Amino acid sequence: MTKARMSKDRLKSLFETLKGDYRIVGPKIVQGTVILNEIDFDDMPAGSRDRQGPGTYRIDRAGSSDIFSFSVGPHSFKQFLLPSVQETLAFKKSKKGISVNRVLVREKPIAFIGVRACDIAALRLLDKIFLEGPVVDPFYEDKRKDIVIIAVNCLYPGENCFCDSMGTGPEATSGFDIALTEFGDDFFLEIGTAEGEEILDGIPLKEVDDRDIEEKGAAIFRCKEMIRKAMKTADLPGILYRNLEHPRWDEIASRDLECGNCTMVCPTCFCNSSYDRLPISGISSDLTERSGMRVRTWDSCFSKNFARVHGGNFRPSRRARYRHWMTHKLAYWIDQFGSPGCVGCGRCITWCPVGIDITHELEELRIVR
Amino acid sequence: MYDKSLPFEATIKWIKKETRDTASYAVKINDREMQKIYSFKPGQFNMLYFPGVGEAAISISSGPSDHDLIHTVRVAGDVTTTLSKLNSGDVIGLRGPFGKGWPMEETETRDLMIIAGGAGIAPLRSVIRHIFTSRKGCTNRVIIFYGAKTPKDIIFRDEFPHYRDLFQVFLTVDKADPEEYWRGHIGLVTSFMGKVSYDSLNITAFVCGPEIMMRSATRELLSKGVPREKIFLSMERNMNCGMGICGHCFFGPKFVCKDGPVFRFTDVEEFLEIKEV
Repeated sequence: MTKARMSKDRLKSLFETLKGDYRIVGPKIVQGTVILNEIDFDDMPAGSRDRQGPGTYRIDRAGSSDIFSFSVGPHSFKQFLLPSVQETLAFKKSKKGISVNRVLVREKPIAFIGVRACDIAALRLLDKIFLEGPVVDPFYEDKRKDIVIIAVNCLYPGENCFCDSMGTGPEATSGFDIALTEFGDDFFLEIGTAEGEEILDGIPLKEVDDRDIEEKGAAIFRCKEMIRKAMKTADLPGILYRNLEHPRWDEIASRDLECGNCTMVCPTCFCNSSYDRLPISGISSDLTERSGMRVRTWDSCFSKNFARVHGGNFRPSRRARYRHWMTHKLAYWIDQFGSPGCVGCGRCITWCPVGIDITHELEELRIVR
Repeated sequence: MYDKSLPFEATIKWIKKETRDTASYAVKINDREMQKIYSFKPGQFNMLYFPGVGEAAISISSGPSDHDLIHTVRVAGDVTTTLSKLNSGDVIGLRGPFGKGWPMEETETRDLMIIAGGAGIAPLRSVIRHIFTSRKGCTNRVIIFYGAKTPKDIIFRDEFPHYRDLFQVFLTVDKADPEEYWRGHIGLVTSFMGKVSYDSLNITAFVCGPEIMMRSATRELLSKGVPREKIFLSMERNMNCGMGICGHCFFGPKFVCKDGPVFRFTDVEEFLEIKEV
C-alpha cells in the first residue's frame, strides 16, 4: 500500500477533484447530530466532539484542530446504498394484461468522505447479503459498484465504541481507496486502490519516513487505549444458542420499547419489506386500470407484523423479537456468513431511548440463573 | 440465469376448485423464451404477483414433467384472496422458482414416506406427481399419509384413487360430520402412522404441514427408528423477497427462502422445539 503525507488544506482540493464525477457524501451537523449528507468541504463539523452514552448523544464544540475528531453518528452507508424507500418496479394493470418494469435511476456515484473502519466492515457484510447470495440485488449493486471510499482512522473513540473487541477498528486496514490519519497540520495517507491514486493525481504529496509510520501506529494505539467498551466474543455463537430460554430475555423485554431505533441505526441491519404503492390517481375511474410503484422500505424485526403469516405470528412476544435481533447479530450471522453481524460501532446503544447495551446484555446471558 | 427479481407474465389456463378455501391454478408463462428456460424441482416455490395488491410465496403443486405448471392456493391474505377472484385468461406476475426442493436422490434406493397436513400436501403433490409420472413400476415402497380437518378439506381428493395404483395412501380427518360419507380414518396423522408397519431403517420421510404436526410426526418417526438424517421438513415462513435479502423468513439461522424451504431434520432440530424462534 502506498503511503504519503498531505497537507490538511489539500483536502479541499480533493473535494474539487471529486465534485465532477461524484456526489460527495460526508459528515455534517444537522439538528445537533453528525449525519451523512451531500456536502461541501466547509460543511464538515471540524473540531466538533460528540459525547455518547446509552441513550445519549450530544455535540460539543471542542475547539480541536482535528477535522474528524467526532465519532460515528446515526447514519452509515445504508442510508445511501440501501435507501429507506426504494422504488423497484413500475406496475400497470389494464384490461389487456399487466406490465411490470424495473425502475433503475442512474445517478452519479457517491464518494464517501470520512468513513470509519467499523462502517467499512459493515459494508462487507451488506455485500454478502446483496451481492453474494443466490441472486444479486440490482439496486444495491448499481449504487455500490462505483463508489469511492475515503476513510478516516479514528483517533478519538466514542463512549459506546467497541470495534477493537470485534476486530473491525479503529484502524481501517482495507476496503478503502484512500485512508486518512490526522497528524496535526498533515494527513497521513494510505492509498488502497488505483482509483485512490488517480484521485490524488495532481495533489502535491510528501514522502513519508519510518518515523511517520511509527507515529501513525502510535496514534491508533492511543485510540485503542481510550476505548472503554468491549464485547466479549468468546463462545459466540454458542453462548446465545444455549441461552434461548434465559430469564434475561424477559428482563430486557420489560425495558424494550420496540421502537426499532437499533435496527434503523445499525449499519448491518438490512431487513426490508416490499409492497405495492397504488395512488388514487393510479386507478382509472372505471376501476379496470391501475398503475403504481412497487417500493422496498426498511423494516424492523421489532415490528409486530414482521413475522406475521396468515393465521398467526411466528414472534408475537416482545421477548422473542428482541431475542431474534440479538441472536441474529451475534449468532445467526456467524452461521450464515462466518462472522458476527455486529461491527462494534455502538450506535444501537447510543440511539436506544432506554439505553439497552448489547455488550452488557451478552454478559448477562453468561450468568447462569 | 434470468433476473429473478423481476416478475414475468403468466396467464391462468384453468382453475380447479379443490375445497371450500383452496383452488389449483394452472398457469402458462407468456414469454416463449422463458417457457423454455423455466424449470423447477419438486418442493420449490414461486412468488405470484398481482399488480397493486402484492406478492405471495406459493409452492408448486405439479410435477416437473407435468404438462401444466400448477399452484395450489388456500385463501388467506390479500394476494390469495385476489387470486380467488380471477378467471382463466387473466394475467398475473410470476417470479421463481426459489428455494431448495425435496432431495429426490434420497428416494432412489429407499422407501419414501410422505406425511402431509392440510395445505402441506401442495408441495408434496409435486413429489407424488414426479414419481407417478417418471418412475412407474418402481419397486421402492411409497407410503402417503395425509390429514385434513374434514373430508371436505381434503385437497386433490379425486386424485388419490389413481395414486393408490402405485402407492399406499392413508387419508385421515380430524372430524367427519355424521351425514358425510367417510370410510377413512378419523384422528391425527401421527396416531395413524403407528398402525402401519414399515421398514423404518429404510425410510426417507418428507413432511409438510403445520409446525405442531411436523414436530409430532418427527417424534413418531424417530421413536420407530427412522434415521434422523433421513427426515426432511418443509417450513413455512412469510417470504417477502424469495432470494435472501429481506430477512423475513428466518428460522433460527436459516433463510427459509434460499436455504429451504425443505430442510434436513438434523439441520433444524435444535430450533424446532423452541417457541417463537
